[in-house]
Order: sequence, then C-alpha cells, then structure tokens
Amino acid sequence: MNETVILRLSLRDFRNFDTVDFYPSQDGLTVIQGENGAGKSSLLEAVVYVSTLQSFRGAPREAIVRQGAIEANVRCDVLAGKRKVETEISILLGRRDRAWHNGQRVPGVRGLLEVLRTTLFTPDDLVLVKGAPSGRRDFVDDVLTRSHPRLGADRSALDRVLRHRNALLRQLGGRLDSEAATTLDIWDDRLAQIGERLARSRSELVEALSPYAAEAFSILASQAGSFKMRYVSSWEGALSDALAVARHEDLRRATTTVGPQRDDVEIEAGGLDARTRLSQGRQRCVALSLRLSSHRLMTNVTGAAPVLLLDDAFSELDEATARALVGELPDGQAFLTTAGELPPGASPKLVVRLVDGKLKQ
Amino acid sequence: MFAGPIQELVDELGRLPGVGPRSAQRIAFYVLEADRDSALRLAQAIVEVKDRIRLCERCFNVAETELCTICSDPRRDRTIICVVEDPRDIVAVERTREFHGTYHVLGGALSPIDGVGPEQLRVRPLLVRLGVEGVAEVILCTNPNLEGEATAMYLARLLLPIGVKVTRIASGLPVGGDLEYADELTLGRALEGRREVNG
Ligand SMILES: [Zn+2]
Repeated sequence: MNETVILRLSLRDFRNFDTVDFYPSQDGLTVIQGENGAGKSSLLEAVVYVSTLQSFRGAPREAIVRQGAIEANVRCDVLAGKRKVETEISILLGRRDRAWHNGQRVPGVRGLLEVLRTTLFTPDDLVLVKGAPSGRRDFVDDVLTRSHPRLGADRSALDRVLRHRNALLRQLGGRLDSEAATTLDIWDDRLAQIGERLARSRSELVEALSPYAAEAFSILASQAGSFKMRYVSSWEGALSDALAVARHEDLRRATTTVGPQRDDVEIEAGGLDARTRLSQGRQRCVALSLRLSSHRLMTNVTGAAPVLLLDDAFSELDEATARALVGELPDGQAFLTTAGELPPGASPKLVVRLVDGKLKQ
Repeated sequence: MFAGPIQELVDELGRLPGVGPRSAQRIAFYVLEADRDSALRLAQAIVEVKDRIRLCERCFNVAETELCTICSDPRRDRTIICVVEDPRDIVAVERTREFHGTYHVLGGALSPIDGVGPEQLRVRPLLVRLGVEGVAEVILCTNPNLEGEATAMYLARLLLPIGVKVTRIASGLPVGGDLEYADELTLGRALEGRREVNG
C-alpha cells in the first residue's frame, strides 16, 4: 500500500523554536519526549499546519510566529507515493500564508492536503464524545473535507450563507414586507440547496465511518457491547419546507433555527448514549474509535495512509486501553509526543528528546 | 516613521487594495527617487481619473461623457442587456468578443453581511430601462459565487413576471471565482451556453 512519509521537518521562528531540523523514522513510531512546555506539541502543530494552514490548537497566527520575529517558516519533505515533494510554508504577519511544492506556488489548501494528510489524536478528543454537537459536526466536516474536498466545500458555503441569512434577519428586525420576503426567499433557496447536499454527504460519511469505528471500539473496550452511530438531522422532509415553517420563529429570534448547523451525530455503545451515559474511560475509547475510523476511511478513499500524530494521546488512558491502542495502531509512520514513559507494549523506531528548543537523539 | 511627506505618502498608498505596508514603503521610495516628470504624470493621471471619469447615465459603466463608449455605439444591440456586478466585468466579457449587446452594472451583489440589499444595487434603473428600451433578453452575468448566484436568482424572480427572456451564463466557470479572472475562452463558452431561467 501507498504511504505518506515525512522525510524531514524544519522549522524557523515557529512557536518557541529558533531553528530546528528533524529527521524522523520513515516507518513505525517516532517518539518525541520532553518536559511539559518544551514544545513537543508545536512540532506536531507544524506538521498539521503544512497540511491545512491551520493550527490544531486553534492558535492565531500571531501566536505561531516566534515572539520578536515577523515570519515563521516550515519546510516539510514528504514522500507521497513515489513522488518526493518539498513543501514550504511562509507565515508572514499581515499577509496570507503562502505555500510551495518543489518551489512552485500552491494556490490553496486543497493542493496541500493532496500531498500530506494527517490523523491527529489528542486527549482533548474526549470533547468529541462529551461535548456539544458542534464538535461532532466539525469532526465529520473535517473528514469530509479531507476525503472529498468538493463536498467539504459545502461546509464553508453553509457558514457563509448562514451569516448572510442571519444578518438579513437582524436587519429586518422582525418585520417582513413582500420585498423583504423575496430577498429572504433567495437566501432560503441557497441555504436549502447547500444544506441538503451537506447533510446528505455527512450522513453518508457517518454511515461509512460506522463499521470502522465499531470494529475499533470492540478492540479498545472489551465487552462493551454493540456500537452504533448515526447522523441525526434537525428537520424532516425538504429543508425548504422546514425553513418556511420556521420562518416566523427565525424572524422573531433573528437567527436560523433549522438546518445542518443544528444537526448531530448520535453514538450508542452497549445500548447507552455515549454522550451522557458512558463512563469517561469508555468515552475515551469512543473518541479513539472515531479517530481510528477516520484514519481507515481516509486510507481507503485516498489509497494512502495518513501520517499518525499522537499528541500526548496515552496520558489519560488506563493500561488496558493503552495496550489495546498500541496493538491497534495502523501501519505506517507515526509520531508520539510524551512527557513521561512510553506506552506499554510500544516499540519505537526512534526516540528523541526535546530540551531547550533542541532535539537530541 | 519617516519624515512627514514620505510618511503621508506611505500611509495613503497603504490604504490601496492589495498594497501591504512593505509595498507601500517600496512604492513611496520609488516615487521619491523617480524623476520629477514621471512622478507628476502619476499624480496627474490620478487627478484626471477623478475629474474626467464618471458613470454612464444608462448602464453605469465608466464613461467620459453622459454615455459610455458602448452605449453610444450605434452598432450595439440594445434589445439584449448583460447584467454584471462591476465595470471590470464588462472588460472581461468584451475580451471574449462574443457579445454585441449592451450592459448594466449593478454596483455589487446581494450581501447582507456587508449591508447590501436590493436597494443598494442599481436594480430600479434596470427595471426602468426594460420599460423604455424594448429589451428582449437579459443575461445574468453575475459572479459564479454564493452572492452572485443569489443576486442572479433575485433578479430572475423580479424580471420573469415582466415577460422578458432571462438567461444565466452557463456553469463551467470555476465555482467561487470572479468573472474578472476567468479566461476569455471559458467566459465566452459560458456566455454562448447560457440557459433560460424559468421561475
Ligand atoms: Zn453605458
């Protein structure tokens, strides 16, 4: 099978790093050890940035460029199939990020995602299971964007059409004459078209993820019973009809009360609602299963396994789950950051220590 | 900070679209070091544009007289109007050499986020033109992005009851793109393959 392999990662003025040059093991597990605050996560953050031009920690660009500098650079040499691609990113304050593949400008994130895809595990993934529906929607949309970029584009279109419609509702201040109704009709049409398509894509994606997640869950959480997940739409029938029904309420509240922005993913394990009824340990297993399912789906859809990034991913797991996860980790290149011991049963190919912004083998 | 007049020039240049602080400095120092004549030509060109260019009274294209060069050209077919968002889109359509009618510049697209509704666009003047100019077809040539599509749909709803033929340029243009940046072959094909809008 094809794999995506990071051959080299170099940072300049990224986070707290002055310069750092890193050659990970090309297969199996590379472990990055270091104290809390040493910058281990920043290395993984840089890898994700090369793939998405976004910080997985939600950090603004000002926080990414090292204090006192005006530009951060990331260089990442990737073996994508048989092709070697030298990716370079420039994060210059006051400008849009720029990216190059082998010296050629890459116009958009889509081009970056074609070369480097990652699957990230963090202890915060628990929020996927325990938290509000928005986290689950974002998870599904994120996988959709990576696996089917054209369908994923509907998510940003949805956000924009909602901003327009809600702005219009606020401007109307609860009053609707016939002229305003025509304008509102137009935005309802756009919302219905984009929203129905996005909800359908999400629903199909959740269905495709479900068997992978169920399989992972049965291994990570022994004797936990059956596993089900399904996409739950916030309306029935045509979205245009639902919008018409909700119009009065929407005008009164000056916001859009129906649409894919209100949908959720329902997960059930052993007949219990994962969000409210499972123990935290089991909830962590569900979160890990979701990540593993996206990894396997991406591998199947794109024909290349994403690079695995395990950011302190074992720190909150009990020993049995940690052991099961190590056994369940897919083949291919993986990075693990940890402040402490190696997870039980792990056999890394390379261990480096991060001390004072420098890597030591 | 630079000496007064230079800083003023840097600040003014920095207000221009697409000019960041670094470019503003570079241009300011270029002007400073350029010979007096070429610097004055630039200043004069800016003054001329502001003094001599106005909007065509019929279609709102840029013009030097009451009517733009297209509206005052007797060979242009006045029974067919191509509705665009911006005068720059006229340049793009003209480059295709596929269109021989006249234009109507809306002055933007519907965008509630920016406070732009139908009243902020030149929709009413378009309706007036349909009444007096014997127009048979209106081509909706707004950008193929969310706001452009919404504007086209809005106009279609407004125009269809009047009984005029309404068409929309064919898809095939990059979605989310701007007409301004579409190459003339693609835009020409989109114009040729335009489809009639029904209800
Ligand atoms: Zn004119």
